[in-house]
Amino acid sequence: MSVAALLPIAVPLVAAGLSMALLGRLRAQRAIGIAASAATLTAAVWLLIGVHHGGPVTVVVGAWEAPIGISLVADRLSAVLLVVAEVMLAGVLAFAMGRRGDERSMRFFHPVYHVLAAGVAISFLTGDLFTLFVGFEVMLMASYVLLTHRADAARVRSTITYVVVGLVASVFFLVAIALTYAATGTVDLAELASRLDTVPSSVRSLLALTTLVVFGIKAAVFPLFFWLPDSYPAAPAPVTAIFAGLLTKVGVYAILRTRTLLFAEDGPSELLLVVAGATMVAGVLGAIAQDDIKRILSFHIVSQIGYMIMGIALFTAASLAATVFYVVHHIAVKTSLFLIGGLIEDVEGTGSLRRIGGLARSRPLLAALFLPAALSLAGLPPFSGFVAKLALVEAGVSAGSWAIVGVSVTVSLLTLVSMTKIWNGAFLGEPEGPPAVAERRKLPVLSTAAAAAVVAVGLAVAAVAGPLLDYAGDTAAGLGAAVVEEAP
Amino acid sequence: MIPSLALSFFAAAALLAGFGRRLRRTAVWLALAPSVAAAATLLAHAPRVLDGEPVRESISWVPSLGVSLEFSLDGAALAMGLVVSLVGAAILAYTVWYQRDPIPLLGRLNLFAGAMFGLTVSDNLFGLFVFWELTTIVSYSLIAYDDRSPDARKAGVHALFVTALGGLVMLVGFVVLGTEAGTYRISEIAAAPPSGPAVTAALALVLAGVLTKSAQVPFHGWLPAAMAAPTPASAFLHAATMVKAGVFLAIRLAPVAMGNDVWQGVLLTAGIATMAVGGWAALRERDLKRILAYGTVAQLGLLTVLAASEATVAASVALLLAHAGFKAALFMVVGSIDKATGTRDIRELGGLRRTLPGTWVVAVAAAASMAGIPLTLGFVAKEAALDALLAASPAIAAAVAAGAVLTVAYTTRILGVFWGPERTAPSSSPAPGMTAAAALLAAAGVAFGIAPGPVEALSGSAARAAGAAAVALPAWPGPKPALWLSLGSLAAGWLAALLPIGPRRGTAAASAAFDATVDGVLGFARRATAVLQNGSLPVYLAVILATVVAVPGAALVTAAASPAGLVPAESWLQAAVGAAAAAAAVGLLALRNRLGAILLLGVVGYGMAGLFALQGAPDLALTQVLVETVTLVVFALVLGRLPERFDRPARPAVGAPIRVALALAVGVFVTGAMLSAAAGRADAPVSEAYLERSLDEGYGRNVVNVILTDFRALDTFGEIAVVATAAIGVAGLAAGIRGRSER
Repeated sequence: MSVAALLPIAVPLVAAGLSMALLGRLRAQRAIGIAASAATLTAAVWLLIGVHHGGPVTVVVGAWEAPIGISLVADRLSAVLLVVAEVMLAGVLAFAMGRRGDERSMRFFHPVYHVLAAGVAISFLTGDLFTLFVGFEVMLMASYVLLTHRADAARVRSTITYVVVGLVASVFFLVAIALTYAATGTVDLAELASRLDTVPSSVRSLLALTTLVVFGIKAAVFPLFFWLPDSYPAAPAPVTAIFAGLLTKVGVYAILRTRTLLFAEDGPSELLLVVAGATMVAGVLGAIAQDDIKRILSFHIVSQIGYMIMGIALFTAASLAATVFYVVHHIAVKTSLFLIGGLIEDVEGTGSLRRIGGLARSRPLLAALFLPAALSLAGLPPFSGFVAKLALVEAGVSAGSWAIVGVSVTVSLLTLVSMTKIWNGAFLGEPEGPPAVAERRKLPVLSTAAAAAVVAVGLAVAAVAGPLLDYAGDTAAGLGAAVVEEAP
Repeated sequence: MIPSLALSFFAAAALLAGFGRRLRRTAVWLALAPSVAAAATLLAHAPRVLDGEPVRESISWVPSLGVSLEFSLDGAALAMGLVVSLVGAAILAYTVWYQRDPIPLLGRLNLFAGAMFGLTVSDNLFGLFVFWELTTIVSYSLIAYDDRSPDARKAGVHALFVTALGGLVMLVGFVVLGTEAGTYRISEIAAAPPSGPAVTAALALVLAGVLTKSAQVPFHGWLPAAMAAPTPASAFLHAATMVKAGVFLAIRLAPVAMGNDVWQGVLLTAGIATMAVGGWAALRERDLKRILAYGTVAQLGLLTVLAASEATVAASVALLLAHAGFKAALFMVVGSIDKATGTRDIRELGGLRRTLPGTWVVAVAAAASMAGIPLTLGFVAKEAALDALLAASPAIAAAVAAGAVLTVAYTTRILGVFWGPERTAPSSSPAPGMTAAAALLAAAGVAFGIAPGPVEALSGSAARAAGAAAVALPAWPGPKPALWLSLGSLAAGWLAALLPIGPRRGTAAASAAFDATVDGVLGFARRATAVLQNGSLPVYLAVILATVVAVPGAALVTAAASPAGLVPAESWLQAAVGAAAAAAAVGLLALRNRLGAILLLGVVGYGMAGLFALQGAPDLALTQVLVETVTLVVFALVLGRLPERFDRPARPAVGAPIRVALALAVGVFVTGAMLSAAAGRADAPVSEAYLERSLDEGYGRNVVNVILTDFRALDTFGEIAVVATAAIGVAGLAAGIRGRSER
């Protein structure tokens, strides 16, 4: 079992090295990518099954037992998120491989993409606060490179915001680690969980709030979200898609993990409820003000993060389960929407709603892919977003938090408004001006198949919503004690 | 059985969407098959259901949330299900001749029929919601069917937003209602209705769904706008079935809601207002389809009024059946006229009695039922309603009679196109199939008006399922007050039709209000986003720093205990090095020369190394010195390609006082946080174990090295990946620059 927890980190890093060594040999790089995706995905599924039946798995790296060394811990939460993340990484890799042209930029794409995958896996699996920082750094550095690679001046400029904000967040993450170590003398999460009990409560809340701000920047919550809509839309389609699906969710994971494991005593948080509501509203207002597919979708990431925070803020078993389900749903649906947006840009030459139109007639396949994903994002039945939002609303109602329930429902409607804007603008009607590309381009087969597969994953989340939500409920129930338990 | 019926509609829709064009004629049969099958199945089960034995089935979906597809075929479901399948079949048949390329439309109408059928037979609040929202979405797609028309798209959006808003609010109501009842199964809630203030709140939220879906004032504006849909869709969704979903839900929830004052008050007020607004607006319209649409609004108001009280539930079901028949038939008539003459404006139409005789006969029969002329189902239902209302509440009876006057008046206006001088001559006559489909529904209205037995049984069974009493529906009520009221309103309505009520100028108030709301939200979103997302990095950083100061900083204020044993400096040398580093940092801010700034930065870094060395950590100091040196060299190399001095921005995005204040505040925060965190420590740090075990087990005297390469080797591995990736990034950026310069 411990091998399964190591592979999702080790395989991508080895693949990155091999891919780097084989620079310029695209076929070999592709083969490595496929093999690495298959291996990590298998390992993640294996881990999920193992954790599901046998409880949390702990791996002591380098045989130095924690807190001397670093331990990797896979519980239900990390296992399920890891599986979804690996599925998305594989899908987006296939999408990227299917895109036409620009082979020169693809050769660097491969190694860096593997590094990104490793960073995500480290973040989900680590049982150590400092290694979480390392995981973030690995992920972020890969993301800086993917954003700026062979970029033109405009893209570099929009990435500067992303990089500078990322660095500032990293500095404060280091400050938070230093504070934690100063107060407790350890950075091992399991050890921290028990030692924080003896720390004065005022210092504990100082630590809780500092980490919250740091992870809040990563997760793009209000008022720390502005870096996201400025930088994501500029990147190439596969890069934006995987960022949209995974990166902010790692921040949400970190908030969820720290609040349940380290600061569970704080319980429900009014502050977080306000943050959740403000994030939902700020994101959706941004989305309905936009006229470009990727910009609309980027603002929606922010808005949706608010829902996940809502579940953490309410801090009941049901609301935490809802958040876990929401994250799983969102990763699949958001990735698929960005992939479809990328396909539209590929074939139409632009994502501006003013310059495209009538795709439901000219590209019925894209319409059929977009529609379920968009309705799901808006929380309409019978899609996964409906189950996710209903779970949150039920949790909010039983907690008696009427204000956040009202906000979440209103934002749902506004989400539908902006999805309708894309549908009306891109899929119905006629383009307002001449088309951006003169010739009719064919949809790239592999990329379209990859996008369709990711959409299918989103639909599958809805189909298995019952068992999945039960799993999320078990996950939430086990969150407090998961890391403390040592597996044999 | 029940789920498979709903599924067969969806299957037909999918097949038609996928293979419709290849199937050609078979497609038509495929489109009609599910409706016919559903009708046959319902009729086969009817005897049992009418005896009060509902058919129940369920499929589990998300049990932990109470979401299941539970179905119950009781009296109300049977009545509505027959409307969906039988009226639906007639409309689908009509579509085959009406629409130029009928297959896509037939597919979507089947999709709708499946959703509506599912809504009808749902016995779970969330299951009902699933189908409810599905009808909303399909309705949008049908209104915007002619997607090249901006008006159609706008009308679709109007309907979508209003009904989706109501639906979402209703969903919260469902959650509260289900929580109070301990079950989300409608039949179980009906069997043991909960009560209390929470239930009242839940019902108030559910009302939002009822009123928006059934186009009640002030939400009614979407229904006339929805006339942008193809006429068969208008007949099916916006007359016969979907718009009745709200009323249907009110009847379904009657056992828990009927005694509630808020529920009843809102339904009665909205219903009466809707009757008045809809009837009056119908008289001011000149487009046949929009007259019918406002007529539907008015009739929905009447249905809402009837669904509000126990005494009139049975009559409301009877009127719902009657309305489905005559309104669908009249829409088909209007579609035929439109197709034959190319216009729907009553000012351009006349004398059609002679040119379109078949259509005329159908129109007269259907209109008779709408106006409530004896020997039609419309008359029977309205008579039963008035009779019950006169006993319960004469004031409401009077309002209903007044509404009937308006109905008769606009019905007269509509029939006017068949009399008088010929104006626009038909270029073709409607296909016999179209007239036959409409004739079937119109004839049913007359037949059940003469022999209302089946309707009486159906409405009685539906009323009993809703916990209300059945009422007798005689074909001829005999001389009673209700009859005089009916006949009086017929006469008054006929006279009212002669009044010169001019056409409306400009857009309807409800439409304008919707447009204003959308524009307002959009404008607000733009303004808010311009403020929140202003694109300035200095502003973003200021917000982050301010958040750090405000959020954890607030906790620090309470945490700030004066740490015991705090010494300003351990030696004069330490104080001097610290002061030098601090002075260099401050000086850095004032400097505009790049080289000087970099050198001062180096002073800060070496100062840190000095502090480490003085603290007794030569290994750390060594690392720091190496990093500083490399950084300085790299900076110096880059400097050759940059201007000598920093530009001072003419108008900085964040003013100097704010920057200074933030910098100081963050500095104070980090220092204070470090002091209080260190003061709070109770346990021995792990570093003691490092020192202990470094040599014996890690085989190294330099503890930093052993930590990096052994104790925490995974971190180092990760950081190596970071450095390697950064190298790729630099290469990539350089490639980008080269690529640009080549161009």
